[in-house]
Amino acid sequence: MNTLRLYRKSMAMLIRSHMQYPASFLMQTLAQLVMEGGEMLAVILLVDRFDHLNQWTPGNLYFFFGLMSVSFYITECFGRGITGTFPSMVRSGQLDTVMLRPRGILTQVLCADADPRRIACIAVGTVSLVIGSRMSGIVWTVPKALMLLESICCAFWLILGLFMIEAILCVYSVKSVELANALTYGGRSACQYPVDTYPRPLRVLFTVVAPFALVMHVPASHILGKPLFGWPGWTGFVTPLAGLALFGVMYTLFRMAMRHYRSTGS
Amino acid sequence: MSYISVQGLCKHFDVRQKREKGSLLRKKERVQALQDVSFDVEQGELVGYIGPNGAGKSTTVKILSGIMVPDSGVVSVGGLTPWENRKEHVRRIGVVFGQRMQLWWDVPIADSYDLLKDIYRIPDSEYRQRLDELTEALDLGGIIRTPLRQLSLGQRMRAELCGSLLHRPELLFLDEPTIGLDAVSKLALRDFLKWENREHGTTIMLTTHDMEDIAALCSRVMVLGHGRKLYDGDLSELLGRFDRLRTLSATYDRAPEVPELPGAERVDLEGETLKITYSTDKMEIGTLLPLLQKAGGIREMTVQPQNIDHLIAAMYQEMGL
Repeated sequence: MNTLRLYRKSMAMLIRSHMQYPASFLMQTLAQLVMEGGEMLAVILLVDRFDHLNQWTPGNLYFFFGLMSVSFYITECFGRGITGTFPSMVRSGQLDTVMLRPRGILTQVLCADADPRRIACIAVGTVSLVIGSRMSGIVWTVPKALMLLESICCAFWLILGLFMIEAILCVYSVKSVELANALTYGGRSACQYPVDTYPRPLRVLFTVVAPFALVMHVPASHILGKPLFGWPGWTGFVTPLAGLALFGVMYTLFRMAMRHYRSTGS
Repeated sequence: MSYISVQGLCKHFDVRQKREKGSLLRKKERVQALQDVSFDVEQGELVGYIGPNGAGKSTTVKILSGIMVPDSGVVSVGGLTPWENRKEHVRRIGVVFGQRMQLWWDVPIADSYDLLKDIYRIPDSEYRQRLDELTEALDLGGIIRTPLRQLSLGQRMRAELCGSLLHRPELLFLDEPTIGLDAVSKLALRDFLKWENREHGTTIMLTTHDMEDIAALCSRVMVLGHGRKLYDGDLSELLGRFDRLRTLSATYDRAPEVPELPGAERVDLEGETLKITYSTDKMEIGTLLPLLQKAGGIREMTVQPQNIDHLIAAMYQEMGL
């Protein structure tokens, strides 16, 4: 409980820090809105040229896009300690300060930064989800709502886990931005469309290695009433757990990296 | 057993060098940061830890504070091995880096303290009492609502000290705490450290390059060089060994003829002033004075010992650092 309070307080303080520069905060939030709005416009323009992509209607595609936006930017908003700040903490030695406090390292890193400007992108994603849902004529039931919620939660851990690759490698002083970005930002761009629109190698990549398909596309396809791979309904609740599994693996690797850091003190 | 007990501490680093042309692998160079260092510190001691840059001071502090694991050696701080019980251990220590801030940059320092209260799980009543006490002792009353970034360096240092003492650590590490501070701030800081040590029996380990800090605060000093402990004991005794050079300046009525002074290290004539540097074990002032008086009428004369930085430099040189 104390950890949750600590997190809440840290976030309140970060927001106050951002509000020290209100004009800059507003401008950057607007910039984010334009950026993600443009991204959505690109999808709309593309989808507009076809009636459908495989079995997916334009409404379905907006739903997929919205799901990805919401999940990805929630991660970037709350996980910024890992997605943005950690490598510079390692380089500047600020990580030592973190280790001098009687709390978990990951807890403190997540408490150390957040990016409230992403709220703009999350809003665009939500709008896209709503439009997609309307156009696809989804009849919302409790299980469907829960499935969507689970999918977003698990996607948060999945994307955070993928961002941890860079955090882990930077401890071994490997410059790895490209490799990590291929999976994170690459995954975002690719998997805003359902995975069955891609050739086999990419399908395998985003199912087995970075399981965006399992975490988002399978439950979303059930919500849309067009089960991916023809899998039965309960799979929509099970496959998102792959995101938690991936995070578990990354967390173990992260702990190993911290052990290495403490023995080399880079 | 002593409060801090360090036995045979060793630590090396592999420093990567630039890749040579034509070779794929980068060569690694092995640097021995600590070599068989042992010492004991009792509770309530105020110990100075000195040595030139790269001597291994920070490495020792990192190991003792639990954020670095040594190659070998046995360390116990208050009965715990720092790196094996990190969370439990760091709850009982405070660390202040002179060049690195732990408080949050853009918010009032009171907010930072409030967050530290949650990080260390300090009970409300205890926190209030301790904060009031430290606010008064460190004279923070006027700045507690000011964001860190708007404070001067001296104010920041005081704010940092308060932050690292809120959880009442038994042991405080200070890494160059007076770096860049003005004279008034330095004196205030030293007074505060003495007060904290006396009032709460806090054990303090201080690394610094400012010898005045050591002279003002620590009765015991450890000298480290090339990863080995070279001296451990009284500061005055250490200085006594190297404190031999004196500089005598004599100002005459008119420019004197430079007398023959066998045994002087250096003789300079600047206008009407004669400056003589001599070593007390080769020359005595009693034999020097008559020689000087022969050269003319002396109007003014001073004898100065070497300043403490020169002493330390001489000591490092003698120890081969």
